Amino acid sequence: MAAVDPITMQVVRYGLEQIADEMGYTMMRTARSTVIKEVLDFSCALADRQGRTIAQAHHVPMLVGSLDITMKRVLEHYGGGAERLEEGDVVISNDPYLGGQHVMDMQVFAPVFEEGTLIGLVGNIAHQVDMGGMAPGGVAGGMTEIFQEGIRFPMIKFHQRGVENPEVIRMIATNVRIPEVTLGDMRSQVSAASVGVRRFKEIYRKHGPATFQSAVDTLLNYSEERIRQGLRQIPDGTYAGEDFVDDDGIGDEPFRVAVTIEKAGGGIAVDFEGTSPQARGNINCPIASTYAAVYYVVIALSDPHVPPNAGAFRPVEFRIPEGTVVNPRPPAGVTARTNTTAKIVEAMIRALAQAVPDRVVSGSHAQSTTCGFVGYHPRTGKRFSFTDIEVGGAPARPYRDGRDGQDSHLARFMNTPIEAAEMEFPILVERFQFRPDSGGAGLYRGGLAVQRDIRLLADASFARYADRHKFAPWGVAGGKDGAVGEFVLNPGREGEQRVRSKGLSELRAGDVVSLRLPGAGGFGDPLKRDPEAAARDVREGKVSREAARRDYGVVLKADMTVDEIETARLRGTGQT
Amino acid sequence: MRIGIDVGGTFTDVVLVNDATGQIHYAKTSTTPGNLADGVLAGIEKVLAIAKKSIDDLAYIVHGTTIGTNALIEKTGARTGLITTEGFVDVLEIGRCQRPKEGMYDLSVDNPPPLVPRDLRRPVKERIDRDGTVVTPLDEGTAEAAVDVLRAGRVEAIAVSLLWSFVNPVHERRLADIIARRFPGVPVSLSSTVAPEFREFERTSTTVLNAYLQPVTAAYLDSLSARLARQYGRELDVRIMQASGGSMTIRDARERAVNMVNSGPAGGVIAASFIGQLTGFAQVIGVDMGGTSFDISLIDRGRPPVSSERSFCGYPVRIPVIDLDSIGAGGGSIAWIDPGGALNVGPRSAGAQPGPACYGRGGERPTVTDANLLLGRLNPKYFLGGEISLDVEAAHQAIRQHVGDPLGMSVEDTAAGIIRIINATMVKGIAVNSIERGHDVREFALVAFGGAGALHAGDLADEMGIRTVIVPTLCGNLSALGLLVSDARHDLVQTYGRLATESQPEDLSRRFGDLEKQILERLRRDGFPPDRIEVLWTVDARYEGQSYEINVPVAHDLDLRALARDFNAFHQRLYAYSSPQENVQLVNLRVTGIGRVPPVRLKPLGGGAGAGRPSAAARPKAHRPIFFFGRGFVEAPVYERDHLPVGAEVAGPCLVEESIAGSVITAGWIGRADEYGNLILRRQ
Repeated sequence: MAAVDPITMQVVRYGLEQIADEMGYTMMRTARSTVIKEVLDFSCALADRQGRTIAQAHHVPMLVGSLDITMKRVLEHYGGGAERLEEGDVVISNDPYLGGQHVMDMQVFAPVFEEGTLIGLVGNIAHQVDMGGMAPGGVAGGMTEIFQEGIRFPMIKFHQRGVENPEVIRMIATNVRIPEVTLGDMRSQVSAASVGVRRFKEIYRKHGPATFQSAVDTLLNYSEERIRQGLRQIPDGTYAGEDFVDDDGIGDEPFRVAVTIEKAGGGIAVDFEGTSPQARGNINCPIASTYAAVYYVVIALSDPHVPPNAGAFRPVEFRIPEGTVVNPRPPAGVTARTNTTAKIVEAMIRALAQAVPDRVVSGSHAQSTTCGFVGYHPRTGKRFSFTDIEVGGAPARPYRDGRDGQDSHLARFMNTPIEAAEMEFPILVERFQFRPDSGGAGLYRGGLAVQRDIRLLADASFARYADRHKFAPWGVAGGKDGAVGEFVLNPGREGEQRVRSKGLSELRAGDVVSLRLPGAGGFGDPLKRDPEAAARDVREGKVSREAARRDYGVVLKADMTVDEIETARLRGTGQT
Repeated sequence: MRIGIDVGGTFTDVVLVNDATGQIHYAKTSTTPGNLADGVLAGIEKVLAIAKKSIDDLAYIVHGTTIGTNALIEKTGARTGLITTEGFVDVLEIGRCQRPKEGMYDLSVDNPPPLVPRDLRRPVKERIDRDGTVVTPLDEGTAEAAVDVLRAGRVEAIAVSLLWSFVNPVHERRLADIIARRFPGVPVSLSSTVAPEFREFERTSTTVLNAYLQPVTAAYLDSLSARLARQYGRELDVRIMQASGGSMTIRDARERAVNMVNSGPAGGVIAASFIGQLTGFAQVIGVDMGGTSFDISLIDRGRPPVSSERSFCGYPVRIPVIDLDSIGAGGGSIAWIDPGGALNVGPRSAGAQPGPACYGRGGERPTVTDANLLLGRLNPKYFLGGEISLDVEAAHQAIRQHVGDPLGMSVEDTAAGIIRIINATMVKGIAVNSIERGHDVREFALVAFGGAGALHAGDLADEMGIRTVIVPTLCGNLSALGLLVSDARHDLVQTYGRLATESQPEDLSRRFGDLEKQILERLRRDGFPPDRIEVLWTVDARYEGQSYEINVPVAHDLDLRALARDFNAFHQRLYAYSSPQENVQLVNLRVTGIGRVPPVRLKPLGGGAGAGRPSAAARPKAHRPIFFFGRGFVEAPVYERDHLPVGAEVAGPCLVEESIAGSVITAGWIGRADEYGNLILRRQ
């Protein structure tokens, strides 16, 4: 089909993006849970009649391309056999083994028909607060099978020809802890899909079938070409990289994520041969999450502002051996998959550092630390459940320091304010501050980690999953490693002890948990860092005087300005 | 007689209303960046001369200024220190730990840097808990040490933000005493005064912003007051516009610098609301398209929306702010081709300097204004009333060279393409803004203003199914008119944080009463008699466990059942569900005091014209080829807006020109001049 002019393509593109945004705002407005409304852990997408994503609205990179896999599968499933899609149908699916992320992420799809012909599909994915299973909210170590993680829907019609299926509703209401919230959020996903269907028809009619399809083809080719152009800037070759997950929360063995990247022209192939077999603990990463991690790196390093449609994904080829932590077989558990997806990102960046050392970033805190405190509130006698998510240091860049205490890569979310947490839960936060010297030294310094000390005012269980407590955030291009994380119970008091990164502990009122997050590695030779920048870090207490001398070869005078003579002397001898 | 003065980046707009006659006069002068007061004084003189009035008749001036905004954009605020609870000096820098949306894949995009570097953020040993109980008493030794460090660090302002200070401000107040003693004269902003709400980062950010801007804005206000007093031999009653859309006295403004940021756009929203009332439309969307940005405000049932969850230049503020979205689409937006070969317009703008290529000031990049010029929508000899002569050849050259040739398209098609793309961007902005707030755009009228608003509004309305577009009188000075009609406003807030079921009406009543007493005192001090004062009590409420609140009005009888019922109804309307069986938590108590200014009664023009009956036919001043979507170039009539008789109707396709703007009326639309000089476009 002939390409449309670039202006019509842009007008259609903005129209499609507007529909995806409108679906997103509809969901934000009508959803029940904070995860959707404030954390924005959701994505909305439109596909053409072949199931190719033509527009996507998302706020968390973890969900990029996620619906692209399942929208195709939905069309395949209902394409040939006895089951058919009809106008007004709504299909739900949350099965990680059918292209889903984890059981908590519910996907909703609705076909778009025009005069009886299927013209496209709209879909969305959103994090539910509960889908049943052994742990409220799904945060718990120790799960070893997907069956423990919640109820799975493998493409089920939630609506048939515009009517909600009461049997499915009953099924969900019976199996989740707070049915009105889960069903409320699912209905909000359906509202968003209905908005999408209506607006999809409008834009289709406005441009007419021929122009619309031609504009969509042009748009996909356009995104593809932008990614290919970016990839062409990377030298051809084969590059290998690896990183490790500390453990799976059950044993103490590390898990290896290995990637071999073959870059040729405007294409890239990613091979996971050599990656560890799937884990007993639930750090396994279903294939949609593996795809998202790879797409994230490709987009970030080739063209960060490309419209993320199916065309942008075309230049990427995958080889992902089955039965590994990056492509598990059922019934492996997957809830704590972000431990592993974060390492896919880091391993790929490490591989590409050999190709484009001046464009990659250092290793980061990688995995957001997720903690759940559950107990009974002395004030009300009622059960409380406080989920605390913390981040460490963001990676150092070839042109700037890493951000201190900020999210990075696949995660993008807001923390809970101290006063909001203390208002609701029996805790007192004693410290929320940077960890000095936790950023790896470099020409550009790695981001500092934060430390949060929480005093419990009631007995509570402490469930968590975190990583980089053993494998440090690595430096790149001569930069040094950042600090590893650690969880310390009752620091500076009798009974002080380090507890493991993934697990469940019972704590008593008065106990203090010190969450010390991992930092990020540095970029480039620290001896080349601007002495003034190193001195500023010391003045700000982000780097100690000793570390400035040791790692950066920068000596400060009593008035905290650079001692240029001593610095030159030290740097002269330091560069052997 | 009242005067509204809006100091923008390029122009200072002045509007004068003669309350005796209802007549309006306006003037435009150049903004004087070196000393803004010069431009203000020149503007007052100019409008007085035009109106043939003396300053002796002046009741008051309302002033909107970008001085705070500019200091923030250019980072020229004071060297600021911050004192926090020990263990929490990094709250300001960590923020909510989230990188900006634009930085999702782009590793180079960061949040703006903290306004106080870490060495000027000093801890004091103290701690108060959620009930306001002192867990750790203030250690005065650490307090004195903190102040001494900041004094030695030569800070020009100090912000103090301690945990839970909004419940119990005792430590913050004690710190203020210690600062006054050890570092006399340094201005101090306490978080318990500036933004006494929970969520420590947002409260600290607001307090720091106030401290950072206060020395700059106070110096400007002092110099302005002195200049006015010298010029006119007396103290004039000057009120400063706040971001909330209400004004405050200069005395209050000296202390509340953060409330002055973003006050210019607030004037525009108030004006759009005023124009809606004047023309009988309660549901309006104000769209203000200037040189660099397109501001969208949705006014539901006559009330401009106010939110307490906005940010300025990426820094969160917890003060009442008129709710508007701004996107990078304006007359100066630059058209460019991306690496994939697609045409984009904006968000970068050529601004006023160098401006669009057709300004002939050295701008080479093609802009929306250049495209409008080539499409016949702008008159090269009549831009800003002929003050600037537009260079058609330069526009042609810029569009051909940078966009048309690379795309292999004719200059005319390219110009039309630029307009289609900027329109699609604006449609997306409006659609998302309205659906986010739960509204259907088709039920609204567009109020289009700013230099470029009415050139595009008709196409936008066609695209969105909107049936009415209002192009207000003075559509290039509308923000200044908004200042003039705005009321005085004071806001106080107290975080409460209890469930409705565990609240006592007497306790709530006492708390509201205390806030109301302070508000009434302020309004009395501002000179408002009781019959011009209105006090509103509202509660930020949520279902227990939610992390966002809805602001609900409460009656003075504090019927908690009625409050819960109202909350459920609001929740239903905003979020399409309610859950009456759940506990309602009363998070913040708010009291807003409004000092009503006398209503502005505009004088109808042209006297005697009956509504709906054309008093005279409109006669075009010229015909020229003008581009309309769906039709291409049409030899269309051009009308002079100032010569349109009251009640006259003009049918699209046509163009109505005026000195500071122009209205494109597309086919199928009829424009009618109303008795106040507004142009009302309706789809047939």
